[in-house]
Amino acid sequence: MVANIRDKAAIVGVANTAFSKDSGVSELSLAVQAIKGACDDAGIHPREIDGFATFTLDTNDEIEVARALGCGDLTFWGRSHYGGGAATGSLHQAVMAVATGMAECVAVFRALNGRSGHRYSQGVSGELLTADAIHWGWYTPYGLLTPASWTAMITQRWMHRTGVTKEAMFEVARCTREYAVSNPNAFFHGQPLDRDTYFNARMIADPLQLFDCCQESDGGSAIIVTTPQRARDLKQPVVTVKGVAQASAQGQEQMTSFYRDEISDVSEHRIAAGDCYEMSGLRPSDIDAAVIYDAFTPNVLLQLEAWDFCKFGEAGDFVLDGNLRPDGRLPTNTHGGQLSEAYIHGVNGLVEATRLVRGQSVNQPGKQVDHALVTSGVGIPTGGAILGKLD
Amino acid sequence: MTPEEQKAFEDRIYAYVGVKVCERTAAKDAVNPAMIRHWAEAMGDTNPAYTDETWAANSRRGKTIAPPAMMYAWNQEGFTVTRGRASDPQTDMVELFNEYGFTGVLGTNVTQEYFKEVSPGDTLYLEMEIDSISERKATARGIGYFFETLATFSDQNGEKVGTQRFRVLKFIPQEQPTAATGDDKLEVPTRIPSPRGHDNGWWWQAVDEGKLLIQRCKRCQVLRHPPRPMCGECQSLEWDSIESGMEGEVISYTCLRHPAIPGYPKDPVCAVIKLAEGTNLVANIVGCDYDDVFIGMKLKGRIEQVDEKTTLPQFYPA
Amino acid sequence: MSEYTTLNYADVHVGDKLPELAIDITTGLIVGGAMATRDYEPVHHDKSAAQATGLPDVFMNILTSQGLMSRFVTDWSGPEAVIRKLDLKLGAPNLPGMVMTISGEVTDKDDSSGQVSIAVVGENNIWGMHMQGTVTIALPQEA
Repeated sequence: MVANIRDKAAIVGVANTAFSKDSGVSELSLAVQAIKGACDDAGIHPREIDGFATFTLDTNDEIEVARALGCGDLTFWGRSHYGGGAATGSLHQAVMAVATGMAECVAVFRALNGRSGHRYSQGVSGELLTADAIHWGWYTPYGLLTPASWTAMITQRWMHRTGVTKEAMFEVARCTREYAVSNPNAFFHGQPLDRDTYFNARMIADPLQLFDCCQESDGGSAIIVTTPQRARDLKQPVVTVKGVAQASAQGQEQMTSFYRDEISDVSEHRIAAGDCYEMSGLRPSDIDAAVIYDAFTPNVLLQLEAWDFCKFGEAGDFVLDGNLRPDGRLPTNTHGGQLSEAYIHGVNGLVEATRLVRGQSVNQPGKQVDHALVTSGVGIPTGGAILGKLD
Repeated sequence: MTPEEQKAFEDRIYAYVGVKVCERTAAKDAVNPAMIRHWAEAMGDTNPAYTDETWAANSRRGKTIAPPAMMYAWNQEGFTVTRGRASDPQTDMVELFNEYGFTGVLGTNVTQEYFKEVSPGDTLYLEMEIDSISERKATARGIGYFFETLATFSDQNGEKVGTQRFRVLKFIPQEQPTAATGDDKLEVPTRIPSPRGHDNGWWWQAVDEGKLLIQRCKRCQVLRHPPRPMCGECQSLEWDSIESGMEGEVISYTCLRHPAIPGYPKDPVCAVIKLAEGTNLVANIVGCDYDDVFIGMKLKGRIEQVDEKTTLPQFYPA
Repeated sequence: MSEYTTLNYADVHVGDKLPELAIDITTGLIVGGAMATRDYEPVHHDKSAAQATGLPDVFMNILTSQGLMSRFVTDWSGPEAVIRKLDLKLGAPNLPGMVMTISGEVTDKDDSSGQVSIAVVGENNIWGMHMQGTVTIALPQEA
């Protein structure tokens, strides 16, 4: 039995800053710009915010954000651990706070200078917190140093078990790029990806090549979460949270869960999926569009299986049948994803999922989107959420 | 240095311009296939024009040639320089620079031109002179002078084979206020080590001593890796360890191609390895190409020192 | 004629890029290269002698750098190419543990002589530019 928060919280405002490779401003500036944008989108004043939720990795202290924004009193702040795992985790925090009355209006945000500041692609160095350092120490001496290399290890195993080839990864990369082509805020706006470019790109960590990897971006994204009652009086069509879950599965490590009986099952996503479906009373067939976390192309494939859009081993066929495309069964990462819009640790995905339900996506599918799925990172403690219209 | 002293110094130094460092002298060895092959092996150069006589016989040249970049090698003095160089006008000039504080030395440019290819049986003759010395210059390294030597190579018939111009800066080394950061930069990078704490330090210590250990619960005997303070099966805090036989099989693998990380070999192959004892371990696969690795491949490991500071389990094809 | 082919002058264009060559700098390569070029200066084989000059380990001699540069070009051009000139500016030393990546691009062609100029740079991953310059070769002009 899972806790049920269905329709107890609504997303009323969303915004992204401009995305770039060199913002020229502080991460605090990006955070408050994103949150202010989300307030404007909702039609509320920042003073109405009484809670925050973000990532432990985010460098912006809540009280600094509050002072910069001109907020009043705060009654809630909560953080979720791990990079991409915390996107829906932060939403989870906000929903719990609003559903229980601990706060009435929570801003979920993530802001980073991911290209001009600290770059995740450069791998883990010696300058780490002790607890983390011990963990990374099992990998760094061997050269297994980067998110791409950890993901590659899982991917190689999964390809071996399923027989899925890089054609499927190309389709994920090509398709998200197709969406980015018509998104003016996407890094790859106006730049389609062709087969030769994809297959001839440099190898990063076998089998992942350059365009299997997300970008490194500067930018911020935010959403405002409040009660459904309050949401009715605000500017935008009401989007509620139908289900939201966090999950860490047995034997979990941060990106390196290499000691399980099977290392390529992404068990944590299976738990999150079960909880979200149960909470919402929905099934995969009810999901009309999705934002599936895509730090790397295979992330999408493994999650399609874990979230039960297809059986294990069938994700390759599922995407090659065109299901992720604008006119497909499950239009996915319609903003261009983190592969082609920007890498804001999945919070730009929360923005896009909300827009899909509102009918405001820049690549709005031709069908009505009653329910959109949004997920968090792969290989770490993670989660997901299902958004929908208020009944 | 006062202007007068500088003038006196420069008069002595500039007197070396045009001085012969050595008269036309034959190389100790004629051009020969053995030395060419040694060179090609070291450089990893598979050019058949150097080493494949059959190919060369049918090529435009009709015979093998010495690598042009070997031109200077033939006339090198050889092993005796390990005991110091004999004095010649160039060493005398360098000594004079040193006397006046221009102790720094930095080769800045080297240009070789080739007019003729040579083949086994030819003998190279070298003559060398000090071709030019610049005026006094302020450089990033310090105040100094550039001198250029011109080496001319000819063959046994007196035909000109090539030239080499070598430009060297002799300078007064600057006081280095940033010596500390300089030292830091000069350190040869090694692999990023694991920090050692209470729960993992003993494991790395054993690796340093040549052993791969696996932690074992004293109560229920279940093995666990990576080491943790408590048994996840029975919650006992009591543990000991067994030594692994380092036999295993590949569960998955990858190769970090980009970015290249200082201190690491190029393109390290990393794998999740299921040890025969039952626990998994991440380590390198060495001794074969990446393309030869496969899931299910049997491996045999040993503990090896991989750089100046790092000792690690390394696994080879069994 | 054989498995070794040589580029024709007409096949090469200004702007053509040569395949990159990444070379692991090992003590073996440094010492082996020094011996193969008969360079017995102690700084190229004796670590303590190298350290006395302020560097942490033995470093590559110039003749090896020249050799690697010539190999880089003829790997691409093929064996019938005739090297006319190696013109190098010297930069940071190559030490064990580094990786030097050599890249190159055709910058000039001289129709009368059949000579092609290639700008070449060898960069190591720690200290940057090790050598930079121009290699000039003559390529066959007929088919």
